[in-house]
Parts: sequence; structure tokens; C-alpha cells
Amino acid sequence: MNLKELYQEIILDHGKNPRNLRKTDNFNKDAKGYNPLCGDKVHIYLKLNENKKVEDISFEGQGCAISMASASIMTSLIKGKEEKEVKEIIKDFLEMIKEKESLNTKLLEEDEKTKLMCLSGVKQYPMRVKCATLSWHTLISAIDKSQNEINIKSKEI
Amino acid sequence: MNIDDIKKEFPIFSNKVHNNDLVYLDSANSSQKPLVVVDRIYDFYTKEFSNVGRSVHYLAVAATNLYENTRTSVQKYINAKDKNEIVFTKGATEAINLVASTFGQKYLKEGDEVLVTELEHHSNYVPWHYLRKSKGIKIEFSEVNENGEVTLESIEKKITKKTKIIAITHLSNVTGAILPVKEITKLAHSKGIPVLIDGCQSAPHLKLDMQDLGCDFYAISCHKMYGPTGLGILYAKKKWLEELPPYQGGGGMIGEVKKEDITYGDLPNKFEAGTMATAQVIAFNESIKFLNKIGIDNIIKHENELIEYGQELLRKNNSVKLIGNPKNKGAVLSFTIGNIHPHDIATILDEDGVAIRAGHHCCQILHEKLGLVATARASLGVYNTKEDLDKLNSSINKCKKIFE
Repeated sequence: MNLKELYQEIILDHGKNPRNLRKTDNFNKDAKGYNPLCGDKVHIYLKLNENKKVEDISFEGQGCAISMASASIMTSLIKGKEEKEVKEIIKDFLEMIKEKESLNTKLLEEDEKTKLMCLSGVKQYPMRVKCATLSWHTLISAIDKSQNEINIKSKEI
Repeated sequence: MNIDDIKKEFPIFSNKVHNNDLVYLDSANSSQKPLVVVDRIYDFYTKEFSNVGRSVHYLAVAATNLYENTRTSVQKYINAKDKNEIVFTKGATEAINLVASTFGQKYLKEGDEVLVTELEHHSNYVPWHYLRKSKGIKIEFSEVNENGEVTLESIEKKITKKTKIIAITHLSNVTGAILPVKEITKLAHSKGIPVLIDGCQSAPHLKLDMQDLGCDFYAISCHKMYGPTGLGILYAKKKWLEELPPYQGGGGMIGEVKKEDITYGDLPNKFEAGTMATAQVIAFNESIKFLNKIGIDNIIKHENELIEYGQELLRKNNSVKLIGNPKNKGAVLSFTIGNIHPHDIATILDEDGVAIRAGHHCCQILHEKLGLVATARASLGVYNTKEDLDKLNSSINKCKKIFE
């Protein structure tokens, strides 16, 4: 494993200049995520319209380059998708980070998948997988609103 | 023993990490083990194993003697008055929990205060927090100053008539500050308050003298002292061990057991319930021999040189910010680099074989005070060299380049 595979240009770019790092006006769903091992925090804001389509998504938080880049890329891919589609993309991403070699979803364009695959470098760093998955777990919890705050330590990656 | 040859005593340094020599700068987390300690565990299990303190057969007698020899070695190493003031625990965490639990049970009531500091590791705060929940006690925090120190004055400021025990670290695992524990103990005793010292970070690096220090309780972590994991030591003045109720019940800690009542064993058995970490205790004697062979004065001199060299190196490196600038500093260099998250720093350094720790180091109270989510920490052991610190510095430069 080469460090360059983990810190690819695209990760460094999103890590330094995260997209959608703000708070959505009139959001109607939100959730906080926290990684007690390193103190990383993320707060996801979601605005779904009457057709359950993501009109806007944003996040606030502090974290390492991997977690910021992951939240940044995630939010830019999710906008405009329907709730059901969002769930499918999350599932696909989490499975890829966990075990699968590639992304299978038809809901993303090839260039979008390439962007997401840049995060797959964390597979070689078990301690860092949680950095990449924190915002995704938090998005699930925002959509389901089953818990207000998720604590990634107690979750499976 | 030549200080330059010490690395050779540790087999781990013959391994490569990502094809690089290992630069181990995480000893505040846990130290590496010299071969003598590893061999001792192997020899005990292969040639001498038996449970201790129970059977009377040959192996049991020999193992019991070995086990008790370590207690005597520890007593001498920390200059305790009596060997029965040494209690083996599963770690320093358990040592502090033992005191918090038993002292709390016997002496604390609603409204009483326990005084800790903002520097404390979670293991010297959380056990006291339980008493906040169960007994309604209060926990007060002596403040850390801008240098990352806790002074005698800041302790004095927080002592009230309700202060029942003071529990403080000897050496901060984040800022490296060495607290004036002897003066604090003297002050506390003048007001009739007992003192517990968390010696996890100090024990591997400073000269320990319990009789001179005068404290009531001192917690030690053996795996940070070139010893095995799963083992800690609680030093406590005899009168406390006699007065405090037992912590855990079970075999080995009893006197007489009847249906109506139970009496407890003599010291230190009263606090060592169940089968203890026998092999670890026996092997820890080798850690003490290892430390004695080098000599604590030589260790202090060597590590002070390293810490000064490391501080100078990092101070000269632009955009590296050292956390804390205490006058009396132990073998810890915590730092941040610009806006780079410490976990990214740690991963990038690791690629060069440089092992550091990143995170809040189990000190969330302190990090909140510092306004930081996390810091990177390079911590030293007796096997480290100036070359190790040079490698740290050049890996930091590489890290800066990646993120610039």
C-alpha cells in the first residue's frame, strides 16, 4: 500500500476545500456523528422536498482529511437523489469499504464512482476506515432519524 | 550498559515497518519489551509454571517465591517502607479504581469533594465520577496554566474544608509537565488530606522514592516500564491497606469463610483476589533488573538530552506548534502542524516507520481547555536516540509537503 493511494489528489482537494461545508437553511432532517476514538465530529443537514428528493444537503464538522473528504464527496453525490436512491448508494459504498472491490450501483455516473473509489485506500488502514464511514452512517441516521447522535465506535464499519 | 547499545536489547527493533527501520515514539502509550522480559515469560510457562500461594508442591513453592521476589524488587525500586505496601493489580487503571471504590465506600459522603487536575488521564477521573453518581460527591479541577502545568498554587486554590482526597498525575501524558507532587503532598497533609498520585508516565522516567514523597497512594503501569501488559502496581501506605475494605472478593484474599461471616486475609493478599497475572509479575522482575542495570540517573540524563534536542528541533520547524512549555518536562512531545489533522500526520509518519500517537490521549478535559480536538504525540523511551528525532522531523516535513 502506497501512501499516495490513500492521500490521492482528489482526497486532499476535498479535505482542504470541503464542498457543502455549511448549514442548510430550513433543513428538515439532521443528525450528529461522533467518533470517540479520535474526537471527529460531523453534523449532517438534509432538506427533502415533498417527493422525498434531496433538495439540499450540507455538513458541519471537524476531522481528518479522510473524514472531511468523505463527507464532502458524499454530499456532492447525494444532491438531487431520492431518499430510496440515497439509501442504495450508502449501502453500496459501505459494502465497498468493507469488502467489495467495486461499486455496483447504477445510480451513479462512472466519474462519480471513480471519485468515491478514491476513498477505498482506507481499506488497508483498519483504524482509518471509520474516518471514511462516519458521515455515511450519520446520513443514514438523519434519514431514519432513529437516533439523534450516532457513536461510530458501537457501529460496525 | 552503554546507552547506545540499549536498542539491541529489544528484539522488535530488528523488524522493518513498511520497509523502514522502526522509529518507536509511542512509549507513553506502551513501551517495547527487552528480550529478558519476553524470555522470562517463556521460561516460566515452559519450565516453572504453577499457581502461587496455594499448593505446597515443589513448583508451587518455587513460583510463589518468584512472585514474592518481584514484590520485594518493586518495594526496593520505589523505596516503599514495607513490601506489603505493594499490591499487584491488572493495571494502573485498576489500581486507581481500587482506591476510588474502597476509599469512596468507606470515607466519602454527599457533598464531599475530590480534587483532581485538568491534566488527568481519563483513568484518574472516570473512577471518581462513579462516586459522583453513587454518593453525590463533587469533583473539583485544579486549572492548568498556559505552559501546560499545574502549580502548587492552583492546587491550593481549590482545596476546601470538604476536600477529602487529592488525586493528581505525576507527569502529564500530553504536555509532559512534571507536577510538584512532593510539595502538593506536604500541603495536603498539613490539612489532613490524603494524596493519590497517578504515576503511569513518571514511573519509567523518574526516580521514585515513596518514603521521601510521602504520598498515600501511587499507581504504576508495568507495561509502560518495559514490562508485560496486564499488570499494574498500587503502592499504598500500610495503614490505608489495613483500613480500607477489600476491593474484589474471591479466592486467595480470605482469612476464614463461614456461613455467617467471612474474615479477610493479611496484606497484601486482602487486595489480590483470584489467580493473579503470575507470569507477568515474575517477568516484571526482569524489567526492574533492566532499569537498575542502566541506572535511573543515566536514564534521566539520556532522556533529558533527547527531550531538549527534540524540543529545539520542532521549535525550529515552521508551522509545528508544541503543546505545553512546562519548566519541568518529561519525555513527551505533543504537537500540531498547521491545520493538518493529527490522524493524517500519524498515518503519514507511519509510512516512514515513525510510530507516534494521535488523538486526545484519553485527556478530553485538557484538549477542550486547549481548544483542540486532537494532538499528535511523540513520546520517548530509553531506547530512543537523536537520530529517531531527526527522522521524526524529516517525516513531519514530508507531511507538510503533502498537505501544502
